[in-house]
Amino acid sequence: MSIVAGNTAYLDRKEEAPRGIRGLLFHPAAFGVLLAVALTISLGHWFVGQAKTEITTDQWNRGVIVELMALADAAGAIETADKKSASEKLTTMLKGLPGTDDGAATYRVLRLSGARLLASTQPNDVDDMAPPRRLSRDEKWLFDLGQSLRASVQTQRDEGIYRRRQIEVEELDGGLVRVSLPYFVGEKVTGIVQSERRRTAVAATGNRLLAAGLVIGAYLLAIGALAAVGRERRDKDVTRHKPWALFAVGLVLLTLSAAVYSRSEMGDLTAAYTSLTGQLAGEFSSVKDRLGYLAGQAGVSLDPTMENRWDVDLFRRPFGVIDGDGNVKGAALADKVSEMTDRLGSALRWNWGVGLIILVFFALGYARRLRRTVQEHRSAYFYVMPAMLGMMVLAFFPFGYGILLSFSGQTVLNVSEPLADLMVGFQNYVSILGDFSLFESTAEGAVINYQNFYWTLFITVCWTMTNVAFGVTVGVLLALTLNTKGLKYTNIYRVLLILPWAIPNYITALIWKGMFHQQFGVINQGIQMFGGEPIAWFDGVFSAFMTGLITNGWLSFPFMMVITLGALQSIPADLYEAATIDGATRWQQFRHVTLPSLKPTLIPAIIISVVWTFNMFNVIYLVSGGSPAGANEILITKSYKIAFEEYRYGYAAAYSVVIFFILMFYGVFQTRMTKATEAANA
Amino acid sequence: MNIRRNFFAALAGLWLVFSWTSATAADLVVWHAYRGAERTAFEKVVGIFNAANPDINVKSLPVPYDAYADKITAAVPRGRGPDVFIFAQDRLGGWVEGGQTVEPIDFFLEDETIEALLPGMMEAMTYRETVYGLPIAYKSPAMIYNKAIIKNPPQTTDELVQVAKEHTAAAGGRYGLVYQYSDFYYHSALLNAFGGRVFDPEGPTPTVDDPKNIQSIDLMMKWFKEDGIVPPDPSSTLVTALFNEGKSPIVFNGPWFISEIEGIDVGVTAMPTVNEAGGAPMKPWLTVEGIYVSAQSGHKEEAYAFATFIATDDESAFIRAVEGRQLPSHAGVYDRPEVSGDPVLAGFREQFNNSIPMPNYAEMTLMWSPVTTAMNKITKGSASSEAGLKAAQAELSASVAALRTGR
Amino acid sequence: MIGADKRTGQVSHFWLHLFLVFFTVISTYPILWVIVVGFSGQQALAFADVPADPGFLDRLRAIMPWPQTWSLDNFRDVLTEQPFLTWMMNSAIIAALTTVLGVFLACTAAYAFSRFQFPGRKAGMMSFLVSQMFPGTLLLVPIYIIITQWLGLGNSFIGLVLVYSVTAIPFCVWMMKGYFDTIPIEIEESAIMDGASRQVIFFRIILPLAKPAVAVTALFSFMTAWNEFILAATFLEEEMKYTAPVGLKFFVGGFASQWGYFAAGSMIISLPVVLLFLYLQKYLVSGLTAGGVKG
Repeated sequence: MSIVAGNTAYLDRKEEAPRGIRGLLFHPAAFGVLLAVALTISLGHWFVGQAKTEITTDQWNRGVIVELMALADAAGAIETADKKSASEKLTTMLKGLPGTDDGAATYRVLRLSGARLLASTQPNDVDDMAPPRRLSRDEKWLFDLGQSLRASVQTQRDEGIYRRRQIEVEELDGGLVRVSLPYFVGEKVTGIVQSERRRTAVAATGNRLLAAGLVIGAYLLAIGALAAVGRERRDKDVTRHKPWALFAVGLVLLTLSAAVYSRSEMGDLTAAYTSLTGQLAGEFSSVKDRLGYLAGQAGVSLDPTMENRWDVDLFRRPFGVIDGDGNVKGAALADKVSEMTDRLGSALRWNWGVGLIILVFFALGYARRLRRTVQEHRSAYFYVMPAMLGMMVLAFFPFGYGILLSFSGQTVLNVSEPLADLMVGFQNYVSILGDFSLFESTAEGAVINYQNFYWTLFITVCWTMTNVAFGVTVGVLLALTLNTKGLKYTNIYRVLLILPWAIPNYITALIWKGMFHQQFGVINQGIQMFGGEPIAWFDGVFSAFMTGLITNGWLSFPFMMVITLGALQSIPADLYEAATIDGATRWQQFRHVTLPSLKPTLIPAIIISVVWTFNMFNVIYLVSGGSPAGANEILITKSYKIAFEEYRYGYAAAYSVVIFFILMFYGVFQTRMTKATEAANA
Repeated sequence: MNIRRNFFAALAGLWLVFSWTSATAADLVVWHAYRGAERTAFEKVVGIFNAANPDINVKSLPVPYDAYADKITAAVPRGRGPDVFIFAQDRLGGWVEGGQTVEPIDFFLEDETIEALLPGMMEAMTYRETVYGLPIAYKSPAMIYNKAIIKNPPQTTDELVQVAKEHTAAAGGRYGLVYQYSDFYYHSALLNAFGGRVFDPEGPTPTVDDPKNIQSIDLMMKWFKEDGIVPPDPSSTLVTALFNEGKSPIVFNGPWFISEIEGIDVGVTAMPTVNEAGGAPMKPWLTVEGIYVSAQSGHKEEAYAFATFIATDDESAFIRAVEGRQLPSHAGVYDRPEVSGDPVLAGFREQFNNSIPMPNYAEMTLMWSPVTTAMNKITKGSASSEAGLKAAQAELSASVAALRTGR
Repeated sequence: MIGADKRTGQVSHFWLHLFLVFFTVISTYPILWVIVVGFSGQQALAFADVPADPGFLDRLRAIMPWPQTWSLDNFRDVLTEQPFLTWMMNSAIIAALTTVLGVFLACTAAYAFSRFQFPGRKAGMMSFLVSQMFPGTLLLVPIYIIITQWLGLGNSFIGLVLVYSVTAIPFCVWMMKGYFDTIPIEIEESAIMDGASRQVIFFRIILPLAKPAVAVTALFSFMTAWNEFILAATFLEEEMKYTAPVGLKFFVGGFASQWGYFAAGSMIISLPVVLLFLYLQKYLVSGLTAGGVKG
């Protein structure tokens, strides 16, 4: 194996570790601390900035929503009282709202029936565009928005769960924010009220000074620690001698800086949230006074809200932090604050984890080793790279997405929401793997529940084993026969035998299905020809299983045959000669020459064909369709059903991941076993 | 490093070869799954529209049905889809719920558009009280019979059973009636005759085990087991084979079946009334093909104009009916002698009066698998009609709940 | 080879032929039905047609794949009513490029896996295998996004070629690696002694020796691309760019199916595969390379 060894000559090359001040600054331990702390803190900084921006914009939005909810109540009351004068009254009312006089805020009230704009303070809606009027064609979006909010309210009532937003907050160009929500006459969504206004860009960030200070401080301390251990230990190659003490120091530095940062920012955030809530309470009181007055002018009265129904989330569920009189409820506020800090806290803990990984990677020498390895095996990696690159982009990446999806509750109903909001943890897996209701009791006693995962798994395993065994046996036998020296017409046999592989299996699978028909299928006709009884192939679990097996076996043996034919060419003829001279029988030749030589290509082919058969969708779907009663479904057809008939993408992904792990378990097992037998044979 | 240079040169070469394949822009693109005569007629209609509207150029792309829904789901929300597409109403709910796919159009919709259409059609295009498409054609099963054998098509199920028994000889593979009774879609005609339903109209709550549904299945099982007038394991290919070989004179099947008939003089008429259901007619589910404006289209006004043309233009509906053998949703076309005098078109039009649009809830697709299992169990005799539907109801309720809560 | 030596009990060629004929009949019988449907000039899938109270001969006639009439109508219609030949050409281009790219990528990677010892070798091999284990049902949309939005290869052949190659690579790599392992390392060592470079060894010595395996992987890559339907139908946005399987699928699905057209199309579509196999099978014939490889 000298060729292979020739490649390892690089390994012995000693790399000179940098010395002096460079050696200090770029020492893996110190540099690792720098990177780890910098990454942890800057990620944290970003999260905190996000959180601060979010609470500020949220409170701002809530201020608008409070006002619009009050306006919606007024609009509903006005419409209930008298539809005819509604437009006029609402127009007057909008004029009295804050922000209309200086143009800081604009309002619209739309009645859905007849797509009528009842009132508007938009600068364009004057003269011949002045309300009341029907919406113009380029205002279709406004009508659609109203329809969609109405549908959201209806959906919530029908289903009793909150899944579609009933308040739309849109960010338009130039910092303009548009908030729309429905108003009601009685229970019925009659129209929408809408406001547009500019939200000053909130540039809330974390404490920069603190963040920078912590990073630099940690780095300096790490260098200090490095200087303290002395040149002798410092210059040792970290890939061979792990500097555990330095690593421990780094870990302490990382943890400390993360903790200090987190504590300080959490305090800030809590204070900000409390003060913003106080502000909102003030806004609520002023809206209550102002709109109460305006509504009175229009001849309707707003409900004196005992509990605050105006301060709501996007599903129109009350927040419950501010009461009907505009006072902040202390306990409720504390709950909200801890909810927020908990969320941020867990994000920051993940950051720490990321930092730890970086620290381990650098400080314990893995980064340096990786760099050396890549350099040393350049040509090997060069050969592998093109294929690997393709696999990364088009196989592993989608696969990673699939795994992510499996932890979510994504369905067709929420597919437009960001995946991060739909995470359900291991719930999908628990409900797949934790369902042991393998039997169900019916009037006829306990019967097998064919819908259960474990039954399907059992069928899938049987399906795979029988199919592969059949395909391999037939394929290898045919290849060996075709490989016989001096046998005539093998060209013709070969071509005819690969035909099942060549013809699109969609039609041949359906031909097989027709052949299995109880009354009109040729197989039963053949049986009856010789006096047998026709078989109702698709009625029994076993016979329906056989239909799939026969069809798929027929489809798959040509592939195995071709593989074996290829592999047989690698067996040197003199091996047989030698065996013959030794007086080996044909069986012994096969056992000791042919089979071992076929192994290197046959084993991967078997593994791969197990994987394919396990996931063979077409044949089951087209031939037996899982009959009877879903007993012959395999895992892949189930997962297809869940994804494309039940529209539960997250659950289907979890199913796929389970399939993946079963196959991976098999793959590892098979390669282990192969190795073990090889070792035993050697 | 010769090989490296060669490799990159090869890559660059490949790139050049294929750079010409990038898409060219057309004003409007419409996707459909038509083929054969339907497609030819549709393209003719598109040509008429293009000639009449020089500022709009519509290009059509046929997509194989098996890939069509997935292609729309993948492409349209990402802005790569068509401006207009044609699909049956069954997927509408899912696309609306998924978002960014179909444009609501009731803002555009005018009364004369609705008036030009057959009554009740808009229901199929409406989801949660919002209209998303214009109906252009419909399909539903009707009673198709071999005129050489059946002189007077049966008017009631009693007559049907009687006539069918006369033409049944199971040993010789002859059955008086053949249809895919174990397929819930075809069963819907009996189901609706009994007034059964699979979802409560007040919000999509499953009602698969409704007693009326059970009654309808019991009648179907009587035909199969007691009367023996239908063959076991019915599949679409078997239905075609038996009818074409003259072994079954009566089938329940849709307009698509007509093109599969070879050498038989056929009559089409409405399905019989059901004596067991107090004389109510069999009412199959109506599949309504709608034309939708893509939510991602850059030319929605033009797209809607095109959709309206397809749905309501007299001449184009006429061409689709007579040349494309479609059943347009356009009401006026059935008054024209070429259409009213056409036995096939008139027969299916007659069935239209007794039909119910198939629900378009997103939850509808969830129903098929449990009810198919139930129908299998029941026809194979491994469950009673009640037990089978009860199990399907439980499964469907669970999956509907799981769909809504996302877990 | 097997059966070549009379002393060790050669099986008579008669039995071998019997065995082969038996399986040939099984493998061709359903296909004969496809042919029957294709040449019938009609659109229905065939079912056994027996009279009442059938005798042995009636049943025998029923199971004989023979159409009542012979007609070329289906073939004519398939080829003329749609641009089927264009689609065949598109398929041919895509499949050929997939074969070239797939085999090239697989050979290089497999060579490294077989001949170099490097960290990540086992993990790399395993990861190729593992990639086949995740069912593809849910991956259509992610792959669509990658190809059309990230790589900008929507509606192009090259996008499909990339996806198909990656689909074919894992199997090809394992297959080739297995085969490379059987080629004795001494051949390369002596070439290195003569001063040959790695590339020269790979292209001049190893690849020619691995012809049978290359033939198998080429056939496999070709088949992967040739018969694929759903990705092609989803990615391609112009009728003239469709592939043959996409065109074929127009005849089935939905409510109605034209089985006659579909059968005729299926036969046309499988012809190039058979031709390719006819060409490649010379590499699968024993004895051709046996002299070149000595252990």
